Amino acid sequence: MAETMSVVLNVNGSGRAVSVEPRKTLADAIREDLGLTGTHLGCEHGVCGACTILLDGEVVRSCLLLAVQADGAEITTIEGIGAGDDLHPMQQAFSEYHGLQCGFCTPGMILAGIDVVSRNPDPTPQEIREEMGGNICRCTGYQKIVESVQAAAAVMSTEGGSA
Amino acid sequence: MTTTQETRWIGVSAPRREDAPLIRGRGRYIADIEPAGTVHMAILRSPYAHARINGIDTAAAEALDGVHCVLTAADLEGIGDFPTIWRLPGQKESNTPALAPGKARYVGEPVAAVVADSRYMAEDALDLLDVDYEILDHVVDVEAALADGAPVINEDLGDNTIIEYTFPGINALGVAGDIEGAFEEADEIVSGRFKVGRYSGVALETRGLVADWDDLRQTLTLHSGSQVASLLRTELAAALGIPETSVRILTPNIGGAFGNQWDRYPEDILVSLASMKLGRPVKWIEDRREALQATVHGREQLQEWQLAASSDGTVLGLKGRVLSDQGAHLHSVGIGPAWVTGAAAVNQYKIANYHCDVVGVATNKTPNSTFRGFGGPEAMFGIERMMDKTARRLGIDPAELRRRNMIQADEFPYFSPGGAVYDSGNYPAALAKALEAVEYDKVREEQQSLRDQGVYRGIGIASYIHVSGFGPSAILGILDYYTGGYEGSTVKIDPHGRATLYTGMIPMGQGTETTLAQVAADHLEIDIANVRVVWGDTDQTPYTGFGSAGSRSNVAAVAVIKAIEQIKAKAVRIGAGLLEADPDDVAYADGRISVKGAEEMRSLTLADVAQQAYWAHKIPEGDQPTLEATYVYDPANFTTACGTHVAVVDVDIDTGKIDWVKYVVVDDAGTIINPLLVEGQIHGALSNGLGGAMLEEFVYDEETGQLLSSTLMDYLVPSFTDLPDFEIHHLVTPSPHTEGGFKGMGEAGCFPAAPALANAVADALSHLGVEVDQTPVTPSRLWSLIDQAGG
Repeated sequence: MAETMSVVLNVNGSGRAVSVEPRKTLADAIREDLGLTGTHLGCEHGVCGACTILLDGEVVRSCLLLAVQADGAEITTIEGIGAGDDLHPMQQAFSEYHGLQCGFCTPGMILAGIDVVSRNPDPTPQEIREEMGGNICRCTGYQKIVESVQAAAAVMSTEGGSA
Repeated sequence: MTTTQETRWIGVSAPRREDAPLIRGRGRYIADIEPAGTVHMAILRSPYAHARINGIDTAAAEALDGVHCVLTAADLEGIGDFPTIWRLPGQKESNTPALAPGKARYVGEPVAAVVADSRYMAEDALDLLDVDYEILDHVVDVEAALADGAPVINEDLGDNTIIEYTFPGINALGVAGDIEGAFEEADEIVSGRFKVGRYSGVALETRGLVADWDDLRQTLTLHSGSQVASLLRTELAAALGIPETSVRILTPNIGGAFGNQWDRYPEDILVSLASMKLGRPVKWIEDRREALQATVHGREQLQEWQLAASSDGTVLGLKGRVLSDQGAHLHSVGIGPAWVTGAAAVNQYKIANYHCDVVGVATNKTPNSTFRGFGGPEAMFGIERMMDKTARRLGIDPAELRRRNMIQADEFPYFSPGGAVYDSGNYPAALAKALEAVEYDKVREEQQSLRDQGVYRGIGIASYIHVSGFGPSAILGILDYYTGGYEGSTVKIDPHGRATLYTGMIPMGQGTETTLAQVAADHLEIDIANVRVVWGDTDQTPYTGFGSAGSRSNVAAVAVIKAIEQIKAKAVRIGAGLLEADPDDVAYADGRISVKGAEEMRSLTLADVAQQAYWAHKIPEGDQPTLEATYVYDPANFTTACGTHVAVVDVDIDTGKIDWVKYVVVDDAGTIINPLLVEGQIHGALSNGLGGAMLEEFVYDEETGQLLSSTLMDYLVPSFTDLPDFEIHHLVTPSPHTEGGFKGMGEAGCFPAAPALANAVADALSHLGVEVDQTPVTPSRLWSLIDQAGG
């Protein structure tokens, strides 16, 4: 059995200590050790964006990081977005504007969308397409995701809040 | 009391009930399933295109701490393989084995499997497997595979020709046409040679399985993303040699399927066998490279067409030869997609004289099988490119040439010489609507003035038919297709008057759960919140013969309607007894059972009647207690969806880059259940179609036989910035023979996408005489074409 290391991951506001092999990816640690399976794996080589999380406020691909690299970091996964029935405007908009079909890319898309709007509160469709180009969707053809993000941005600006 | 208005759900963009867990990250996909005691499988795949396997030394892998078992072909004694369900006359038997038996025939073919405590350990163990490969000559090009002296992929078959099938132009009316006469009579004969590229669904979720064998109960539970769980259950039990009653298939959320998950795969057998050997759950999750190498590919064809036309633009005849690159083995549907290409190639046109030879050819490549569109998009590429070439040759506008040859709205049912019976449609109206939406005359004028400014704008039209709702089982029998074409539905009304609907359909993102609930709510005339849809468990749900779910909602929806008709009739009989009225005087309306003409006074709710049905104190003679019904609907005919797309693009002749100006869709899929979801399906299918038209391609290296595009950095899936906004318009020509008038619509968007784009690009470059006859039209490929043309 390979040696393990102890790391603390501050996920969605609570600190969790896990013991992982140094080679374990952050995505696998989030899914397997923390049981947060909303972070999906689509390629494991950093192209598809399904494993997108927020790490210390930055959008990152959790498949390209090792869990040990995230020791002590603040992590937000899809499970940390919205609270119970209180959906985040981005989640609400994805459902309302049919921004998802199979749902596999959706957690990453929602986090990427929140990140875009946090930096650009009133994005044009073209800006959304360019900013979110790192996330792949195979079902929607993107148009309804663009509409979802724009609609969420409008709500977020009136509410004055972000993630 | 609710009003009729409030209970009308068909035609409404009802919110998707699927969304609530998915937007919270609480979907449940295969990778999220891990029963206690689960061990993990990894698969060793051939690194060679063609190699004899002289031996596999498993000792070091087996000795590794944490490894539970290693499977090689030697462990498959007595285990069967999955049959090819489409078995055309003269087709050689070439099933896909679970593990390469003595010889690997493509890069990525499973050679051995390891089960260990974790996936990480299982992959460690793969490195310790020592395979003695003897490398053989390979062939990855379809014409080279047919040449004399080509390496033979399956020695048992003699050569690489798996089947030659001829469409001689026969339909239900008998022999159609005189192809030689048509060509003798022609003023012009136009030829085209097309390479339709190899690509596939490439769902974002890779395939995965969790098999859980319970030795004491002798049951195998398989968590699978199969689109056709009933068929998987039947075939898996047969392959493993266990009773079908022992097998239960559970389907969780599916992260995209696109037809690829219609097939049965080697891994279905391998995880099941490993679980049976070890007596514990075995999980396998495909990685992305495996997904690109070992999930079925689609499309690849080399087509040669000749079109005979008179000078007024009448198409007199069409003949062609389609070489389908099947890869190393026939997969679940055999050469089915290429057969459909042959059947559909006459498209919307009155082409009386038709001949097409379809040849299935083996190569050292991944099996080519089921993918959204299933041969239809390939057919549309050939015929729609031919129509544009003919228009150019004759000097007739491409829209006008199409209009002159289209089947007219009053000519249905239309017996196509490809063998299909088109049920309905209005092709000229769809074309006219598309031209109007794109402002055709205006863009043609602009095209001229822009060209003077060095802007190369092109307009591409592509019309299509999609023969959907496969299909009447008797017809499938005639086509040597060994499944049924029916869908079953069970509807149960509980004692409180709420409905549970059990369907064999497998939702995979298209919103089937929502749309079937809409149909049920509409026909029961109750609130949609009172309808639950149960799917994804072969222990509970009806057997589905077919289940290619993208275009099957129409068939499944009719099964729901028919089951509900039975329930309503029974509710009326029970209600009549309670109301002390003659059943003929009682009617079901607005979710109530009432005496006609006395609805205010003598009326019961569905819940009142359901409660009585369960108490069963006063069940009419001949009726059974409870309130439920099952209906298995076998469609009377196929449904034919249709439409026209128009693409407008600008081509940068210095770089080969294509910029979108406009993309207009006119789609006619009969009655629409949920407009928002229909739009989503069109967008999605279109993006699949345009992906393969512009970027996506499985590229094989001729010299080594390696798959070069085996990461998502090399296999280019369209991103946000590659696709345009789509403008969608509808026509509604209800199917005349299905209850509700629905037609299949989940695939049609990908049918005309590639020819619309190719026609637009060729149109933009018409001054150079550039013909776009190969997909994908990548920037580098297009730049080369422009360069060769002296542009």
